Amino acid sequence: MWYQVKQELILSTTKFLTELAYLLPGMVALIAALLISIVLAWMLAIVVRRLLTSINFDERLNRWGFASLREWSPMDSPTRLASRTVAGIVILAGFLIGIAAFDVESTSLLVRNVFAYIPNIVGAMLVLLVGSIVASFLARSVLIGAVNLNLQYARLLSLGVKWLVIVLAVAMALEHLKIAPSIVDLAFGILFGGIVLTLVLAIGLNSKELVNKSLERGDKEASRENVEEPFRHI
Amino acid sequence: MAVDSIPQQTQEKTAPIDSADLVVGVLADLGKDGIVALCEGLRTLSGSPRIVVLQRDPIGDAPTASSQGAQEDTSPSLLPWSAVGPDPLGAPMQSISIACQSLFAVSEKLGARACCFIASEMESVSPQWICRLLQPLLESDFDLVAPYYTPRTLQGLLNTSIIYPLTRCLYGKRIRNPFGPDVGVSRKLAHKLLGTFRNANASSNQTHPLASLAPVTVCDNLQICQVHVGARVFPPTDWTNMSSVVAQVLGPIFLEMDRNAACWQRARGSVSVPVRGECQCPSEETGTLDLNRMVETFRLGVRDLQEIWSLVLPPATLFEIRKVSRSTAEQVNMPDELWARIVYDFALAHRLRTINRDHLLRSMTPLYLAWVVSYARELETAGATSIEQRIERLALAYEAAKPYLISRWRWPDRFNP
Repeated sequence: MWYQVKQELILSTTKFLTELAYLLPGMVALIAALLISIVLAWMLAIVVRRLLTSINFDERLNRWGFASLREWSPMDSPTRLASRTVAGIVILAGFLIGIAAFDVESTSLLVRNVFAYIPNIVGAMLVLLVGSIVASFLARSVLIGAVNLNLQYARLLSLGVKWLVIVLAVAMALEHLKIAPSIVDLAFGILFGGIVLTLVLAIGLNSKELVNKSLERGDKEASRENVEEPFRHI
Repeated sequence: MAVDSIPQQTQEKTAPIDSADLVVGVLADLGKDGIVALCEGLRTLSGSPRIVVLQRDPIGDAPTASSQGAQEDTSPSLLPWSAVGPDPLGAPMQSISIACQSLFAVSEKLGARACCFIASEMESVSPQWICRLLQPLLESDFDLVAPYYTPRTLQGLLNTSIIYPLTRCLYGKRIRNPFGPDVGVSRKLAHKLLGTFRNANASSNQTHPLASLAPVTVCDNLQICQVHVGARVFPPTDWTNMSSVVAQVLGPIFLEMDRNAACWQRARGSVSVPVRGECQCPSEETGTLDLNRMVETFRLGVRDLQEIWSLVLPPATLFEIRKVSRSTAEQVNMPDELWARIVYDFALAHRLRTINRDHLLRSMTPLYLAWVVSYARELETAGATSIEQRIERLALAYEAAKPYLISRWRWPDRFNP
């Protein structure tokens, strides 16, 4: 009896140690891959940052109309955003290489799935980037147009347009990432409708006086139009 | 290449004509009687030149009965001209640009000595003023004949506030209406302008023929004169489209400024340009003006557009603008020196593409309206007789601020007072 228990214990210990021995090289490989990728990422980040700084990347982005990217960047610097993105990608690649070293079916499946998901992540990031740029552009267009039309609630309109576009972009990005699509649809509907309702209520109820003033101004302007306008510009 | 600019219908109609001495493009609506009177006036020009008149055809159909009748005469030949752009009311500057290019192309094709572009109506009934624009081209060797409209207090305000003083300060020639639109152009100048458009189209820069007129003439050392043509009838102001007009006019002018930087940086001071004819300066009453709308737009701009202006204007200028906006509606006064610096800063931001160019130019509208308020209020009390002095004072302010422009233009990052 005692002999049989002893045999079982030896067998299970041997099995555990054998499996651990199988895993150890993989774990060492993972740690090594991570360490190497971190060092590589750090070096690449420095190179990218210096390169972008030397070509005044932040200012160039502003001139090309991507000023809104600054808001999304760490320390308001798109250069840092770019260098950190590069570093992140290198570390992620190192991690995936390390995982693959385990040589287990499930890990290779995980790696395959992660790689298959990368296009979704890239697509979602692009949607967010374009959405942010379009939102800023439209918000500025609406602001300038509304000011020139003498609308007192120009800023409110501009903010409303900006958030409508951003909410739309975020919903599209989440849809792309396949994260709880039904909840995203529902949340988007509620949020989008909510913003529109807020705008309507703000103009219709909370800004009642403002609207009254605008309408009065409209009446005044209608009466002004009846009087011949002496100004000729071009 | 130039033939591409000529509308199909005009190409067909000009096909039987071998050559001409003068080509007159009439975009303005002169009416049947006006066209007949114009043709009679053209026949009296010395030297009996062969003249082709391109008359705008609003519906793009075949010429009317009267024009067909006129075609039977040896001179001038009256041809239909469907050269107006897609939306002449929504984008008048674009329509004028298309028409101008087409006129220069027809003129080049027919080997004409000169051409004349007519886009305005005048208060005078007779269109004889058009012949006055043509005479210097035929009798003397002028390359550009610019119009000198009778000055009116509250008319042509974009020209008074920006186009004239800026052109005068940059290129050193006192051309009162450098943007025309009614101008006479020699063959040499028309050829150069066509070349400019081809280059601009190749580099996808949207230049405007009228904006290129004065810069090309001055920078190429061509001859300019002005002609008193009477009082122009300006189109009424469309307040809902005001910022669009500002953007359409200033965009090409700032583009030309960028293109000719080497030329205007050499020019110092300004000299007068010969003027032909006599000025009819009628007395004019401005009456009581309602400036509240413009003051409100300016104040709204100061409140909501600071974020955009701060990308364009230096802090000292922003501070002064805020100071102007804080004064009471009756005391809003934008000094000429401040206005000149604002225009220069916007021109620089346009060159550097600090923000989207259309946004930039549209955001300038409230500032422009503030200047109009100051100007109108000053002339309301001073009277119409002092218009010339007032415009001269503004032009001198632009000239005095030119070193500021040159410094910012050369060192946009370093020079920030």
